[in-house]
Amino acid sequence: MRFFHGTKIDFVGKRHIFFWVSLTINVVGILAVLLMGIEYGIDFEGGTELAYQFSKPIHTDQIRKAVENAGIKDPEIKSFGQSNQYLVRVKYATDLDKKIHESFKKNFPEEQVLTLKVDKIGPKIGIELRNQAFLAVFFAIIAIMIYVAFRFEFSYGFGAVIALIHDVILTFVVIVVVNKTGLVNLEINQSIVAAMLTVVGFSVNDTVIIFDRIRENVKEKQKGVGYLKLVNLSINETLSRTINTVLTVVIVLLTLVLLGGPVLQGFAFTMLIGIITGTYSSIYIASAFVIWYLGKFKKINLEEDDPKLTGLKTAKA
Amino acid sequence: MKKLIGKILIIVIPLIAAVILLYPTYRASQLDNMKKSVYEMATKEKNTTDSLARIEKFEEKYGKDFENAKLQRLKLGLDLRGGMYVTMEVDIVKLIEESAISETVDDIFNEVIEKTRAEAKNTDKPVLDIFLANFKIYARPKGKSLLTYFEAGNMMDVTEDKIIEKLKKNAESAIDQAKEVIRSRIDKYGIAEPTIQKQGNRRIILELPGVSNEEEMRKLLQTTARLEFNLVRNNVDAVKLFYRIDKFLADQAKRKKALGIVDTTIVANNTESSTITNEDSTAVTADSANVQKTSDTTDPYAGLSKEEASKRYYADHPFTMLFESFYTPPGGEGKTQPINYAVNQFPVGDYSFMLYEQTLEKFNRILNRPDIKVLIPREIKIVREAKADERMQKQNQIKSYYFYVLKREPELTGEVVTDARATFDQTNNQPVVMMGMNADGADRWAKITGENVKKRIAIVLDDQVYSAPVVQNKITGGSSQITGMANIEEANLLEIVLKAGALKAPVQIIEERVVGPSLGEDSIRSGLMASGFAFLFVILFMLVYYSKGGMVANLSVLINVIIVVSVLAAFKGTLTLPGIAGIILTIGMAVDANVLIFERIREELYRGRSLKSAIDEGFSKAMSAIIDSNVTTFITGLILYFFGTGPIQGFALTLMIGIIATLFTQIIVSRAMIEMVLALGATHFSFGQPKELKI
Repeated sequence: MRFFHGTKIDFVGKRHIFFWVSLTINVVGILAVLLMGIEYGIDFEGGTELAYQFSKPIHTDQIRKAVENAGIKDPEIKSFGQSNQYLVRVKYATDLDKKIHESFKKNFPEEQVLTLKVDKIGPKIGIELRNQAFLAVFFAIIAIMIYVAFRFEFSYGFGAVIALIHDVILTFVVIVVVNKTGLVNLEINQSIVAAMLTVVGFSVNDTVIIFDRIRENVKEKQKGVGYLKLVNLSINETLSRTINTVLTVVIVLLTLVLLGGPVLQGFAFTMLIGIITGTYSSIYIASAFVIWYLGKFKKINLEEDDPKLTGLKTAKA
Repeated sequence: MKKLIGKILIIVIPLIAAVILLYPTYRASQLDNMKKSVYEMATKEKNTTDSLARIEKFEEKYGKDFENAKLQRLKLGLDLRGGMYVTMEVDIVKLIEESAISETVDDIFNEVIEKTRAEAKNTDKPVLDIFLANFKIYARPKGKSLLTYFEAGNMMDVTEDKIIEKLKKNAESAIDQAKEVIRSRIDKYGIAEPTIQKQGNRRIILELPGVSNEEEMRKLLQTTARLEFNLVRNNVDAVKLFYRIDKFLADQAKRKKALGIVDTTIVANNTESSTITNEDSTAVTADSANVQKTSDTTDPYAGLSKEEASKRYYADHPFTMLFESFYTPPGGEGKTQPINYAVNQFPVGDYSFMLYEQTLEKFNRILNRPDIKVLIPREIKIVREAKADERMQKQNQIKSYYFYVLKREPELTGEVVTDARATFDQTNNQPVVMMGMNADGADRWAKITGENVKKRIAIVLDDQVYSAPVVQNKITGGSSQITGMANIEEANLLEIVLKAGALKAPVQIIEERVVGPSLGEDSIRSGLMASGFAFLFVILFMLVYYSKGGMVANLSVLINVIIVVSVLAAFKGTLTLPGIAGIILTIGMAVDANVLIFERIREELYRGRSLKSAIDEGFSKAMSAIIDSNVTTFITGLILYFFGTGPIQGFALTLMIGIIATLFTQIIVSRAMIEMVLALGATHFSFGQPKELKI
């Protein structure tokens, strides 16, 4: 059984179009996010989150009224996992569980309400976690750039980083937008950031696999084949592997999203989006950037066999 | 033959190691079930001596085994087990504040403290450094030095450096001491397998599995538990002091009024005065003559209407109107009567004072004013009772608290208490904590009680009076008791904190996560289900697409997961829900490695290589790509581990272990398996390529 054998798709030919499309989506996305505002989880803002389980689904308005009756201002009610589970989110305070429980008893006398979890984060820790998260993403990208530049070449490192930044931005935008629709609870909190960091690691996988093939093809290239053709060849050759791997990981993540329960849902969903954008960026953006860089700054003749190419450092494989 | 044995060993040794590492987990759960059934039988048979003997035998035979197994087993994280995760911060600012000599504390000092506190909120720098920096900015220019506020040992010999040194030592030891005290408290409370870790220079992180009563836990963790025995000085000097405070405030108000300034802290508020019960207003008019029988009563409000007199009284006595005062003639024979402060003539005897909940805040505010503080003699302090007066609450539904004037220097502190036991007082069925002291404490206690028979000694915990009983006679043997707790649960908590000791510096909970056990079970279930499905799908896919090669990959992935879990157990790590996610991801990535290899092998086969050489080429050519891609993921795992907390770290850990295991199982073990099959004489190995290749 074989898929994608001997494909001859021209990936690099239309790279300018893809570049502009990506740039537009990114810019529009960032604007949209700025306009819509980012919803942070209590991890980064401080606050209290309580999850409750009823015996049957209850209208969120009734729940909100009950919570307000307990003397709590401005609660946010969200769904949590199954249809009879709900999340109540308020500003940081203590002893809320008892008050809310009592109010539930009064307002829903036939219900046996179960407290699933209570998370309280003081505002100071919230800010700290947020700063740490930013630093983590920043350092991860830098570390990877250094590693790829070391294993291949500076231009490749740069290309990988551009693709990564694209992935992070695009994933972030999609997360914020989907969160707004309310389909999945995707407030930005620690596990979302962890998922994004993992995406950073994974996305580079794809990119590196293609780079590795390019490097090999450059080393053993046939006479008269220009760089552009080599890149195309490399991507086509690795396509089968790319599709298979992405497929397996996507299905694995989909299982997590659908079956993994509410605690992991945000994490798995973020990774899912990230893997898809990561694959796209590895194919269309990373190598496109390297091509552009080599053409513009190293003045490599892309169409024909350029002796300067072999002068490029072929790192220890 | 040698080569074959080598390959078999590569596969078998990790498996054996894994089984050994995971055995304690299995054993622990086995013994757990045994223990449960033994105890269940005991309760069913109503604890007959037979079943009790069985329990003893079990403990004897398996007790140690169980403990060892529990130490080495794979622990489940809080999100899977249910429990409480707490981050606490030691309030070093408070520690420094309290280290200062209290009489010297002034506005300048308070300003430095406030600035320090605000800054400490936003940075992780050592609090002492922040304090010293702020001291330099705000206090030194005004001519103050550390010597103004602190002392260090010998009065003659004190220098600023010595003070800094002492403060530093206190701060460091405070955190360590806090950790130990909290560990002891948790231990005595009975939490099984807690985790207590220091973080940075002022935080402690706790993981408390299986906690069901979070409120109790919070109290347990945050109580400073400073126990003191103070002499009660509710005497005529006290009331004279209150009168002086009244006069000071009233005069000040009059002066300010003349200048047109209104001071809301002391202006009598009509609503406040009306909440004070009728007893008070009657006392003003009718009883003023009644109480001061022997004194020369010149009633300053003579001839005024009741209302007018009340108004004037409140204006003249802005402090004492906030509470009620009672007088008992000496000797304990006479009746206790309410008094007022209309006339500055107070008889010798016993006094008691009762505050109301509504006036509590104003009361404290007045006493905290620096200009009032100087009026209060150094040797005393004013402390209120912890529990509201029951009778008042039952009869009038009003919360009121007695307060006491105490000798500031305690006669005895909690350090001499060696034992505590919560129980019920047989005479009145109230909860009580019986305490025992060490030899030194017992001696001193005997002396103190001997010198103060028929006087009161207050038992003060964390600056609140729990009881102030009258000493009936000299107490030898060092026994004493605390009453005044609301219920037996409070008494139990008190027992624990007394035994574990007091915290030198107050601690505060800044982060708290509680996972109910049902969510934990749900999470385990969904985690396992998701893993199962993921695994199943991957296995099917690999079999269908890569045929026998896929089988090899599947077996390797299985060994991979077993290795990850056993390494986690070996590292004494905990398995959290994100950790399970990490394992699931590892499955995906492990398969990726094999996909790379097999795709390459297929390519080489299509290019015309022989089977053996295609396999060789496949593994070697794919190697660089596999290593690069796994290393980059490993780097992100490392960063996640260092920047993340709790569950995120669990994820990063399983991811990193998984990557290393992948490099081993998917490359080395897979290869060993394939070559084993070939060595046993197979001429064809299917990687999904057609049986006969048309080159």
